[in-house]
Amino acid sequence: MSDIFAFRGSEDAGYAQPAPIADAEAAKERIPVSLRRAERAAWPTASEPELVRHYTWLSQRNFGIDTGFYPLGSCTMKHNPRVNERIVQLAGMNDVHPLAPAHHLQGLMAIFHEMQEMLGHCAGMDAVTLQPVAGAQGEFTAIRCIQEYHRSIGQSHRDKVIVPDSAHGTNPASAAMCGYSIIEIPSGEDGRLDLDALRAVVGDDTAAMMITNPSTLGVFEPDIAEAAQIVHDAGGQMYYDGANFNAIIGRTNPGLMGFDAVHYNLHKTFSQPHGGGGPGSGPIGVKTHLAEFLPSPIVGRRPSEEGEIGAGDGWWYTWEAPENSIGKVHQWHGNAGAVVRSWAFYRRYGRDLRTMSEHAVLNANYLRHRIMNPSPEIREKIHAMPADGCPADVVKHEFTLSMTPLVDAIGANGKDVAKRLLDYGYMAPTLYFPMIVPECLMIEPTETESKEALDKFADDFHAVLSEDAEILTTAPHTTDVKRVDEVWAARNLILRHPKKDDA
Amino acid sequence: MSMVDQLPNLGRESEMLAAMGLTSMDDLFSDIPEAVRRNSPLDLPPPQTEEEIWRDAQRLLSANVPVNSRPSFIGAGLYANHVPSMVPMMATRGEFLTSYTPYQPEVSQGMLQAMWEFQTMISELVGLPVANVSMYDASTAAAEALTTAVRVLNRKVEQKDTVYVSELVPEHRFSVIQNYTQGGGIEVKRLPHTEDGCLDMEAAKGAAGSCAVYVEQPNAFGIADEGIALLKEILGDTTALIIGVNVVSLGLMEAPGHYGADIVVGEGQPFGIGPTGGGPVYGIFACKQDFIRQMPGRIVGLSHDTDGQRAFTLTLSTREQHIRRHRATSNICSNETLIALMGAMHMALLGPSGLEILSTRNAAAAMLTEKKLLEINGVESAHPRASHFNEFVIRLPGPAEELCQHLDRRGITPGLPIEALFPEMESNLLLVSCTDQTSDGDVTALVAGVSGWVEEVSA
Repeated sequence: MSDIFAFRGSEDAGYAQPAPIADAEAAKERIPVSLRRAERAAWPTASEPELVRHYTWLSQRNFGIDTGFYPLGSCTMKHNPRVNERIVQLAGMNDVHPLAPAHHLQGLMAIFHEMQEMLGHCAGMDAVTLQPVAGAQGEFTAIRCIQEYHRSIGQSHRDKVIVPDSAHGTNPASAAMCGYSIIEIPSGEDGRLDLDALRAVVGDDTAAMMITNPSTLGVFEPDIAEAAQIVHDAGGQMYYDGANFNAIIGRTNPGLMGFDAVHYNLHKTFSQPHGGGGPGSGPIGVKTHLAEFLPSPIVGRRPSEEGEIGAGDGWWYTWEAPENSIGKVHQWHGNAGAVVRSWAFYRRYGRDLRTMSEHAVLNANYLRHRIMNPSPEIREKIHAMPADGCPADVVKHEFTLSMTPLVDAIGANGKDVAKRLLDYGYMAPTLYFPMIVPECLMIEPTETESKEALDKFADDFHAVLSEDAEILTTAPHTTDVKRVDEVWAARNLILRHPKKDDA
Repeated sequence: MSMVDQLPNLGRESEMLAAMGLTSMDDLFSDIPEAVRRNSPLDLPPPQTEEEIWRDAQRLLSANVPVNSRPSFIGAGLYANHVPSMVPMMATRGEFLTSYTPYQPEVSQGMLQAMWEFQTMISELVGLPVANVSMYDASTAAAEALTTAVRVLNRKVEQKDTVYVSELVPEHRFSVIQNYTQGGGIEVKRLPHTEDGCLDMEAAKGAAGSCAVYVEQPNAFGIADEGIALLKEILGDTTALIIGVNVVSLGLMEAPGHYGADIVVGEGQPFGIGPTGGGPVYGIFACKQDFIRQMPGRIVGLSHDTDGQRAFTLTLSTREQHIRRHRATSNICSNETLIALMGAMHMALLGPSGLEILSTRNAAAAMLTEKKLLEINGVESAHPRASHFNEFVIRLPGPAEELCQHLDRRGITPGLPIEALFPEMESNLLLVSCTDQTSDGDVTALVAGVSGWVEEVSA
């Protein structure tokens, strides 16, 4: 066990720095006596050699896509090309200040402009801002734009946002933060959007509907255009949650489906690494009628003039403020580094982003087929086959399985299966989401897994389903720690190292 | 066949389709109704190789001007710094870089422990018992601190649904606060400042009885404001004092938790990453125990496994959107964990004395730069009676924007016109920001440049 607070180096033996450029004592005295720090922060006292070992040790106790297959549904855990990381370490990225004059940022702004255009094209939207830094913030930003749009046309009484019961939790949370009440509509028995349920709730108070397509069950909503018509007829706006965009690029787009606004998850579809929970990037695209409300600034351009070298591409880039902008949702220009990584990823595919989506769907369908169709010999050993989360001939980029039959057969549940998969060297699928599928496992392989990796996972999944209940319910057995007591953590709330008394 | 080199199953489509009893890729999309199908190819360029992308990226990004490539005095909340080499090298180890939110603690102990250590270091830095794993940036951290305070205190106060924000919070942060508070029907009032650039303490008394007050220390003029240390006494127990900090200042300046802050927020950037075009950076968020159950963001707690071994896990997730949906304390899901990890590594390497040295270097650079600039005839301090940390405002004999353009042509970035932060303020004011990266030579170049321009303007 490595404990960063147990290193016992001298306090004065830390990272060596150049001397201050003026008298240190005089500099300290610039701080008024009443505001001078009385006691140093009890940070670790460790040297670089010790810390490199500490963080190497920690990294070895962490599972990433680089470690193994990561079928975490809805999170699109695809390979992160390494050149992207090398690019963002360049001084022209890592060391530029967002408030520097625009002629210091022409290269970055060129990339921003290219990304605005590409994202708009892929989603069938007319204008794009890159400012939101996460999918949830993209949702929030787009709903804010819709709110201001309604206010601008005398429709500020519209105070309800409709979400299906299969929606990501961020959808209702984002709309609620904008001040809306949420109407959750039940999915049909087949797990799909129920148009009658939608018709029953739309009205003069409808501000928007938020939905993802393919749905969180991994299936395409066949009635999506009709749903958009119903919401539009009632005077509401259609919001597309782009979490599942990886499934459809080049095959359809939210514009064709009738949406007015969309967010993109650059950390899903465009491979910005998730880094243990972030950074993300959640640009939004909108149709023309919402463009004037987008956060400021957005990158515009004009042909460069004599003497303007800029990015060397014949254009001069400018920051533009939309006319009735909602203002800002991030104090700088969003997660520029994530945008640049995603730009490098996009360049790797170009128009073959369509091929990317096709392979994501191919892999999901192949894996679903392999899991649901074991050979008779294997089938004989399995206690109970999972049930389909949603009946469908084909799925899109992910699929859901219900482990209820296993619970009935041997008493081991979805969580037990998930934990046992960890022993086999996999990250667990998304567990117990969407909530409308009982004992749900949600599996998304992405396009960057080989056929062999998918075959092996299917075989191992079958092996897990054949094991004794005792092995499953006490899993995992071979991980760094065994099953963690989450209830104890929540009851006792030890949220920092107890080195010093709490303030 | 596609030129893309990232798809292991390219060329094996027929084999995989046949196994499923399908014949073409179109079969996989047969569920998309004809009316919403896209049949034409994307109107985008063909794929590029890594080699071509790397070349284009170098060309484009070298058109930018890095702050450390020249004498640069631009800051305003995001600072030039030196990030120790260990930090990006360790943080981009694939196991950290390519992991998702640690929903499965049994295989995520590394990141969970690193974040628990991060929480501890932030807690120590600001003098409050609890910190989360990060917010998007300082502005969203401040905004969500205000909404947190309203949720906790609204029932107890006279000025319901009301918060106060210092007038010295610049527009690019205040705008974020407005967007985050308007939906909850929260009224945001402003607290005025004095000619000295400090909070107007008389006016601040009016904020007692509201849910919260948000002020920054040092403020946007770089001023270490003594009044802020007295604010909690004025506000009382039921009005939350929220303080936005420059994290580097806390090597010399008192931890706000020790003078009454209920919540401390700030931009973590100087620890861990360069200014990076404004993102990804990370917001810090720390608070007193009373606010824990209403705070936003991920939190790691200590626990044990079934064998009784020490183990970490995400905790208090019942506050979060994936459980509580529209009743969640925040919609935040993805945050800035990887950058917080970089921050943790940088903080751990600095250690207690390294932080003090770093802070001293910042203060010393500002002291020297200010002294030399004020020796120029025609340049005045905008706040001569105030104490500064690493930034200060000077009054010039002409528009600050003109000075910036003049010196930019000579390879110097002298700072940021105050108008860029506060559009209503006078155009002759310039915010000069110094950091540990400010050298003697930078100061000499700046002073020579400003002198030359002042002479031209005054002639």
